[in-house]
Amino acid sequence: MTKPPEPSPHYRVGVDIGGTFTDLIVVDPQTGHFAIGKVLTTPAAPSAAVEAVLLDTLTPNGMTTGQVQHLIHGTTLVTNAMIERKGARTALLTTQGFRDSIEIGRENRYDLYDLMLEQPRPLVPRHLRFDVPQRTLATGETLVELDEAHVARLAQELAANGLEAVAVVFLHSFTNPAAERAARDVIGRVAPSLRVSLSSDVAPEIREFERASTTIANVYVQELVETYLHGLEERLRRLGFTGSFFLMLSSGGIATVETASRFPVRLLESGPAAGALAATAYGNAAGYRNLLSFDMGGTTAKLCVISDGQPLIAHDFEVDRVYRFKKGSGLPIKMPVIELIEIGAGGGSIARVDALGLLKVGPDSAGADPGPVCYGNGGAEPTVTDANLILGYLDPAYFLGGRMALDLEGARRAVKQKIADPLGLSIEEAAWGIYQIVSETMSNAARVHALERGKDPRRFPLFAFGGAGPMHAYRLALSLGSPALLAPLGAGVMSTVGFLSAPLSFDFVRSWPSQLGQMDWAQANALLAEMEGEGQALLQASGVPATQITHRRAADMRYVGQGHEIPVPLPDGPLHADLALQLLAEFERVYQELYERLGPPVPVEVLNWRVVSSGPQPELRLQTAINTNDESSTDANASVSTARKGERQAYFPECNGYTNTPIYDRYRLAPGATFNGPAIVEERESTVIVGPGANCRIDEQLNLVVEMN
Amino acid sequence: MSSLNPIQLEVMWNRLLSVANEQQVALMRTAFSTIVRESQDLACGVFDTRGFMIAQSLTGTPGHINPMATGAKHFLHAYPPETLRPGDVLVTNDPWMTAGQVNDFTVMTPVFRGQTIVGYFANCCHAPDIGGRVLSAEAREVYEEGLRVPIMKLFDRGEPNHELLKIVRANVRTPDETVGDLYAQTSCNAVGARSLLQMMDEFNLESIDPLADEIISRSERAMRDGIRQLPNGRYSHEVWSDGFEEPIRICVTVTIADADIYIDFAGSSPQSSRGINVVMNYTHGYASFAMKAAVSPEVPHNEGAFRPVHVTAPAGSILNCKEPAAVASRHLIGHFLPSAIFGALAPALPGKLMAGSADPIWLNIYRGTWPQTGKPSQVTVFLVGGTGGRAVKDGLNTTGFPSGVAGVPAEVIETLAPVVQMQRTLRTDSGGAGQFRGGLGQATQMRSRGADQWSVSPMVDRTQFVAQGLEGGQPGALGEFKINGESRQPKMVYWMEPDTTVDLNPPGGGGYGAPGQRDPQAVLADVVNGYVSIEGAARDYGVVIRFTGELDSLVRLPEHYAVDAAATQELRSTFE
Repeated sequence: MTKPPEPSPHYRVGVDIGGTFTDLIVVDPQTGHFAIGKVLTTPAAPSAAVEAVLLDTLTPNGMTTGQVQHLIHGTTLVTNAMIERKGARTALLTTQGFRDSIEIGRENRYDLYDLMLEQPRPLVPRHLRFDVPQRTLATGETLVELDEAHVARLAQELAANGLEAVAVVFLHSFTNPAAERAARDVIGRVAPSLRVSLSSDVAPEIREFERASTTIANVYVQELVETYLHGLEERLRRLGFTGSFFLMLSSGGIATVETASRFPVRLLESGPAAGALAATAYGNAAGYRNLLSFDMGGTTAKLCVISDGQPLIAHDFEVDRVYRFKKGSGLPIKMPVIELIEIGAGGGSIARVDALGLLKVGPDSAGADPGPVCYGNGGAEPTVTDANLILGYLDPAYFLGGRMALDLEGARRAVKQKIADPLGLSIEEAAWGIYQIVSETMSNAARVHALERGKDPRRFPLFAFGGAGPMHAYRLALSLGSPALLAPLGAGVMSTVGFLSAPLSFDFVRSWPSQLGQMDWAQANALLAEMEGEGQALLQASGVPATQITHRRAADMRYVGQGHEIPVPLPDGPLHADLALQLLAEFERVYQELYERLGPPVPVEVLNWRVVSSGPQPELRLQTAINTNDESSTDANASVSTARKGERQAYFPECNGYTNTPIYDRYRLAPGATFNGPAIVEERESTVIVGPGANCRIDEQLNLVVEMN
Repeated sequence: MSSLNPIQLEVMWNRLLSVANEQQVALMRTAFSTIVRESQDLACGVFDTRGFMIAQSLTGTPGHINPMATGAKHFLHAYPPETLRPGDVLVTNDPWMTAGQVNDFTVMTPVFRGQTIVGYFANCCHAPDIGGRVLSAEAREVYEEGLRVPIMKLFDRGEPNHELLKIVRANVRTPDETVGDLYAQTSCNAVGARSLLQMMDEFNLESIDPLADEIISRSERAMRDGIRQLPNGRYSHEVWSDGFEEPIRICVTVTIADADIYIDFAGSSPQSSRGINVVMNYTHGYASFAMKAAVSPEVPHNEGAFRPVHVTAPAGSILNCKEPAAVASRHLIGHFLPSAIFGALAPALPGKLMAGSADPIWLNIYRGTWPQTGKPSQVTVFLVGGTGGRAVKDGLNTTGFPSGVAGVPAEVIETLAPVVQMQRTLRTDSGGAGQFRGGLGQATQMRSRGADQWSVSPMVDRTQFVAQGLEGGQPGALGEFKINGESRQPKMVYWMEPDTTVDLNPPGGGGYGAPGQRDPQAVLADVVNGYVSIEGAARDYGVVIRFTGELDSLVRLPEHYAVDAAATQELRSTFE
């Protein structure tokens, strides 16, 4: 008897190891069918949880590990190792005279008035930082040759003293890496047990403090990551996995195990990146290439600008902040990252009256335990969730689909005692105040963030997910002047979807400064072609057919003499002198939109040339499976009345207080359905609140879309 | 606006703060000079129609924030609202009207809603060059220090004032950067105005003045509540600066009278013949900064925070100089004021203040010529020392106080000028000893890689007078300025041969509490990390530490050191 042949591997799997849960999604790209799994994270041996959740999810669905073609993985292990200071015993070798760069830092105070300020603590203490006789100049020339004998002696002593890792950071090595490489060779020869990271490999960019901080972080976590990844590969092989195993990077790109092991610092923050990628994928599917993604949970809110179908990438960020939400209080990392801002605003954020008699909300949070007062677990401080309950936005009987009853009276008591009475307001006014202030905190952060990245928030529809996001999104959109609000169906599974929604893609950048008016266009075309060629080769090697590869090009431009550039998209095809005026006009358009006025009459230059080479955008049709609409009633207007399951009193200042507000069952609203606010749209894990007069519709992807005027 | 409840107020107040931060972001992203975009030597603020500052951006430096606020009133006086049209932008760098030196340009823009002015935006930042002598303390009159622009229009109904810009370009060493930054300052205010108008539409506001009244009165009340916590009384203190030709005495008497604070600098030295004089605006700026940090750091900074603080200094004194005094290096004196005031207030605020800090930021300018092209080069470098120890923790190593300006990386410096920074390292034993140690200063050395003469304008202080300790803490180490290893007058411009070395070593902060009270294990950790030497541990702390490792070892770990408990006990018994 012969067994039928195994179908060729084609499933795609995404796995996310979070602090509490390890989540998995498996998708059959041919049918759009998918399954989701969740187990507790196993911190001692994280790959055990991956195996468990993989088998738990595949087996009951009749799938096997051997049928998986791509497995894409993200993890918070690297971030945690840095925060908990659990990396290797690491030393730093620097150019003579500069071992303190990482401690001297930027020399300023990130809070002007705080006399009790603290600076971030470097990963390498001063007694493990060593000057090495050596000096390279800004031109790349050598002023002082590397003293190899000294390096050899240091390396031997470090190894003998049980050190495990060494970061080598010499000045101007991003211009001339020879001395760093020579040092690495010496260390490898006399002390092969030491892991070495060179700053010219990890982060070849100007500014010694940030480059050193990044290089140290890389080698500090390297062994941990390598051991983990090889262990996981081994485990997967044992389970019969023969497909490709990729790691999600902080930039939203994906990489092989080999690259991830060499540059583990690129894995930082890959979990939150996935949420932004998921928003990108939903937005693209619904025809929105520009979005502000807004993910609000219990403790924090995260916002990300998605522009032209791509999340914005920053080239630096911070880890292990002294004050979580204060920029400047963390260790700098120079690495491309999907740029998210995190704000201390969530459902659990606590409200209080401050010394000025003003109402403040967050950033401290009641967390999950004891949680908001209305959870009835002993929480005594009024929170955002308590306010939402008082305002009628939450149904005390339908929280988490009715699995948890909420204590409205308790919430009212706490708000009265702690907020309303001290401020001389009614309970409702106080609750509305809490709601309004937390929304305003988020919109202020979003506005400054968007501007910092040169984006005008008024051009970006808001895409809301997370447990609390859809409840606050309407006010946030009003305050930001957003043109529209989108709330996807099934916000709870969005993050894992992100792992699978990223196309295989590679980013390239070449620094080649040149003024627009004096451009050697042949050279520009050659640079672009070179990058496109590399992208083409890498993608084809990863199995993407040549016909499905696309390249996007952009130039970072500025007025000559400025320090910051703005990205300007380039047209397809060869560039030539006739395009210079068009590029200048495009630059000026973007510049004026951002900064209201043009700059001084000086020439404009291109600093960097960029190419993003991508495979096809994986198509994800998950919503059909999530939709539990069994009515088979696809009639849009009929679905509105079917979905309307009642009404309750909810607070809207436009109606001067409480008003009778229709409640809709999200699962019963069909594509094309339209209705007007005020409205409450409920699903199991989240509720969308829409203000009076707003026009709502359900689009083809079952997103709830509110056009804001 | 009696209808303004605390919640609407909070929402709109926060919005104004966010608008000011948008301003700052726009300024940094459009600026041309490294002083603005790397070092953030700037301030941005929102003003009501009466010229009261109601919000400022998050960072910046007190020497710009408060003088900019005072300067707004001069702008309004020179150009009353009826003389302004949409698209107008005003500018000045008059030291007596704004930030006390001609390098600091303040740009102010009226915001029109229809044909009505509803508020103003202003910002102030340090121009990379303004002509005259290069920025130094050498001048004897303000006229030598560069081009002075009285309050005038930078833009007239949207059109650049080309005549003014031509004059600026012709007078400065860095025309593209200096003029480019003026454009950036204009964009900065325009971005603020856009957001303010959007906010007024959204909240249906005809005027922001009632909102301003509420913000100012609440801030004033909070500041006064903070002051009431302090015991009434008169508290005096004095500190000394190196000065130019002779040491300068800064004498302060702080009088707390219920909900008001009077800060008087009578008894301070008369104005100097050289460029270290401080205009009243600047004196007021740092004095009110100190009070706010001491009394109510959490209250947003605005007009209301100034009102309970009354600052006076005798006309013609170093802290209230008269024209045509030279003022370019006024920060070297002005930055002493917070430490002087903290010294006076220490008995009134036990446990809340820090010991003396390095104080003046070290602003050094290097000039030379590029070896290949022969073109002139000029770069401005900021350096800072340590801050004072606090009642519960050590001071901060190499962190500026009171200035909020950031340093410039060696790699950036060396790209902008033909110089080589040979070291930038923490100075062992420079932090004042104490139960909580003062922050360490640093040691830096610069050389040239050009073939021609090059110059340094060091502009430094605290090379003669230490940062004082508090509550029994010891002073920090002095700062040092040396050319080829020899100490030189720290405020002159020096032209040097190519193979010269310049050492600039900012001072350490003072310690807090008696050194004999410092935990020996904390002293041990300091020795392991080289913050304190083995000799310093015994001399300053009475803690005897033995190195038990190999004498010729390069790698020295914590396990290679030990506290000799018996010897420590004996030595400490000789400490009082």
